[in-house]
Amino acid sequence: MCDHSNNIYLPRLATIEEIVDETADIRTFRLVFQDETVREQFSFRAGQFAEYSAFGAGESTFCIASAPTRKGYIECCFRAVGRVTEALRQLEVGDAIGVRGPYGNSFPIEEFFGKNLVFVAGGIALPPLRTLIWQCLDWRDKFGEITIVYGARTEADLVYKRELKEWEQRSDVRLVKTVDPGGNSPAWDGRVGFVPTILEEAAPSAANTIALVCGPPVMIKFTLPVLERLGFADSAIYTTLENRMKCGLGKCGRCNVGNVYVCKDGPVFTAAQVKAMPQEF
Amino acid sequence: MAKSISEQNLRLLIDALVSEGKRVIGPRAAGTMTLYGPLTTGEELSPGELPRRSAKECFFPLCETILAYERDKEGVRVSDVDSCAIPETVLIGARPCDVAAAPVLDAVFSWDYRDEFFLERRKKTTIIGLACTKADDACFCTAVGLAPNDTKGSDLFLSPLKEGGYRCDVITEKGEALLAAHGPLFADAAAAEPLPLAEPTLGKLDLEKIRSWLDLHFEDPLWEEIAERCAGCGACAFLCPACHCFDIVDEGGEKKGVRRKSWDACGFGKFTNHASGHNPRDVQPSRYRNRIMHKFKYYVDKFGERLCTGCGRCIRACPVGIDIAAVLEEIDRKGARD
Amino acid sequence: MNNSAQTQSIDPALYATATEAIRAEAKRVLEAGTVAAVVGWQAGRRKGSALPAIVTDPTKADTLVFSPACVNNLALYLTKAKKEIRQKGRLAIVVKGCDLRALVGLMGENQLKREELHIIGVVCPGVQGRGEATMAAKCRECAVHTPEGTDVTVGSLPDLPRFTPVESEELARLEAMTPAERWAFWKEHFARCIRCYACRQLCPFCYCEQCLCDRNRPQAVETTPRPAGNMAWHIVRAMHLAGRCAGCAECERACPMDIPLNLLNRKMAKELKELYGHEAGFEVQEKGPLAQYREDDDQSFIK
Repeated sequence: MCDHSNNIYLPRLATIEEIVDETADIRTFRLVFQDETVREQFSFRAGQFAEYSAFGAGESTFCIASAPTRKGYIECCFRAVGRVTEALRQLEVGDAIGVRGPYGNSFPIEEFFGKNLVFVAGGIALPPLRTLIWQCLDWRDKFGEITIVYGARTEADLVYKRELKEWEQRSDVRLVKTVDPGGNSPAWDGRVGFVPTILEEAAPSAANTIALVCGPPVMIKFTLPVLERLGFADSAIYTTLENRMKCGLGKCGRCNVGNVYVCKDGPVFTAAQVKAMPQEF
Repeated sequence: MAKSISEQNLRLLIDALVSEGKRVIGPRAAGTMTLYGPLTTGEELSPGELPRRSAKECFFPLCETILAYERDKEGVRVSDVDSCAIPETVLIGARPCDVAAAPVLDAVFSWDYRDEFFLERRKKTTIIGLACTKADDACFCTAVGLAPNDTKGSDLFLSPLKEGGYRCDVITEKGEALLAAHGPLFADAAAAEPLPLAEPTLGKLDLEKIRSWLDLHFEDPLWEEIAERCAGCGACAFLCPACHCFDIVDEGGEKKGVRRKSWDACGFGKFTNHASGHNPRDVQPSRYRNRIMHKFKYYVDKFGERLCTGCGRCIRACPVGIDIAAVLEEIDRKGARD
Repeated sequence: MNNSAQTQSIDPALYATATEAIRAEAKRVLEAGTVAAVVGWQAGRRKGSALPAIVTDPTKADTLVFSPACVNNLALYLTKAKKEIRQKGRLAIVVKGCDLRALVGLMGENQLKREELHIIGVVCPGVQGRGEATMAAKCRECAVHTPEGTDVTVGSLPDLPRFTPVESEELARLEAMTPAERWAFWKEHFARCIRCYACRQLCPFCYCEQCLCDRNRPQAVETTPRPAGNMAWHIVRAMHLAGRCAGCAECERACPMDIPLNLLNRKMAKELKELYGHEAGFEVQEKGPLAQYREDDDQSFIK
């Protein structure tokens, strides 16, 4: 270890280049690695995560929310709910944070080439899909139809509002946005209803299609049967699991679901894999 | 190749190693108990009692600094710890049930990402194991496939002799090198009779059967029956030679501080708690189940090894009398019925 | 005085009789449906060992025992730290005199209601110290061999010799120290702490849903096992228990590092007794002295 690069717990420093408040308590950081070599060489795949440090408070785990096709920076998106995320929220543009990663597996995007994609997301769980959505849009000709069903409790709770507009305006994306009943203003131009219901109404064809689902456990619970009714096989449905982690490296013993280490075997799983796990997540 | 070493020369060996600047760790008296600790002279070696805590801390300390940070107007600076400072170490007089855990833990600390804090200490440590001649009713190494004279993990292995002194077996090249460097302290092994080995009373467990039962019984009334009484402390995990879960925390202020890695336990209620309040293992039986599953199934699935060497420390320490050997016996019986 | 207090010297028949009576009572209340579960002790695999048992099936009542190994203070299982057990319904609990003090304290703190419990008291000649046949230190000076105010009390007390006290001598030694010596004494002991929290988890009064030491916003006490955090943790805990600790010594028994935690609690209890005439766990009392202000409180410490 006399060679210092061998300390796997050592983060790389990144500067906060831009802060976007997605909602009242959800914030996006655009991060640029301070070291030029790292900045150029850092690469990741959609679905991977990182450990982000607020020095003095500790580390927190989020997916890398920007697309692997967008070089020079990464983005993360977090809700201030704990010690580390509260500390991150105190930081300003120009401040430094630590980043360890990328860790974990990723969406097998090559297997999706030539297929239609249906993205289903709820609330703050859009970021783990957004990375893939942008990658697919950047490689648009490799995929068939792209449908995005995204909902949140209220209009205010929708993240990436600017991008929702952009997707809406594109002719090569079908965006179905929704808010829970009561969550809409009079000016709301989207749907009203829970994500699983809206998904069922939107009824994307399952033929030659991959579904990618991220959301709170209750949304996932009600979305999977809908996808099943629409004809999706469990092996054609992908999701990500989030468990508490410390190391992100398969060592600290926290994130396992049965013998599956979410940090290394995940966070991306098919519905078939999730169903085969002990239901303890 | 077997050698022998007298009791006196063993202590002289420690003196010699210390004078060479090596860190020598061995069982030593510490107040009301014996603990593995740094020996400053051979006289301090106290191999009679099983140390209260296992030898894992030789490689995986209770708490260690993994980086330091500083923040000022210029920005943040992170500094690595100087792990060149990890000294050459000899672990001496460690019981087979402690030593056997070290190679088991190599797997988790080296798969894919290498934790050099652990592995560098492993690399720099020569282990002189000591055959065990005294078992109590919590000992069950033989039930989990080890033995009181198991050399797994040892570089040199000592067996106490009836006439005093030890037979010394060379197990690895590392051991060979240590022996060669201190040749005059060793003699050729005479045909001396070893002291009788410890005889743990628990019968051999069918670990494959136990694993098969665990495969099928994630949901089982057994977990609640055993773990209702579990108080959720970390005594078992902290004393265990194979438990390796840890926490990572920042300690210090905004301007300056360090990040530390320290022992953690899957029995703690907050271990898997999300910041949102969601807790995948929210009751004690689910946490106890994870403990048993991790030791006798998950780790086996992943690495082909078990996270238990039968040292019995968790049994002796559990303040609510949970007896992992009894639990395994029960699962073994259930496995036979299924 | 008897210096070699051995639990073995007590007639085994006494424990056997108490065991039979506990089983009969447990069976009776479970069969009658008066309670959903009986919290008692059962024998462990190892010879002469015992562990807490939660019995819901009347046919399993005969697994209950009383022996010198029945050390655990079962009051722990009635606290909200053990919600799953309380959720079973009305509970019966087997208590020694010392354990009962914890129950009384918990009632005072509105954690338990007397009428919701069926208390099976057991007259206790003493239980064993850690891993030995010697009598636990707390039993050598026991003043509550016979629990009072139970629903039923089983067992009987043999003639016990006067044992050489251990606890009070230990306390006297502590009190004879200078403040600097005391600081050094505790510093040395707390340095050994590995933060396994066995002390907290075994304590019937550590039922806080959010322990101060698990809080991290802001972080009051460092969580790693290092001298400063260890000292803070044990001082916080001692202060939080002052006037509440009922002296069961479970913290000290549970400590895998042999830290004399109960000594600290006993010192606090003694101070509280001298200052406020308060002793925890003898009567159901809503507020301990450190939880209330009275005009006649001793104020001599304000200088």
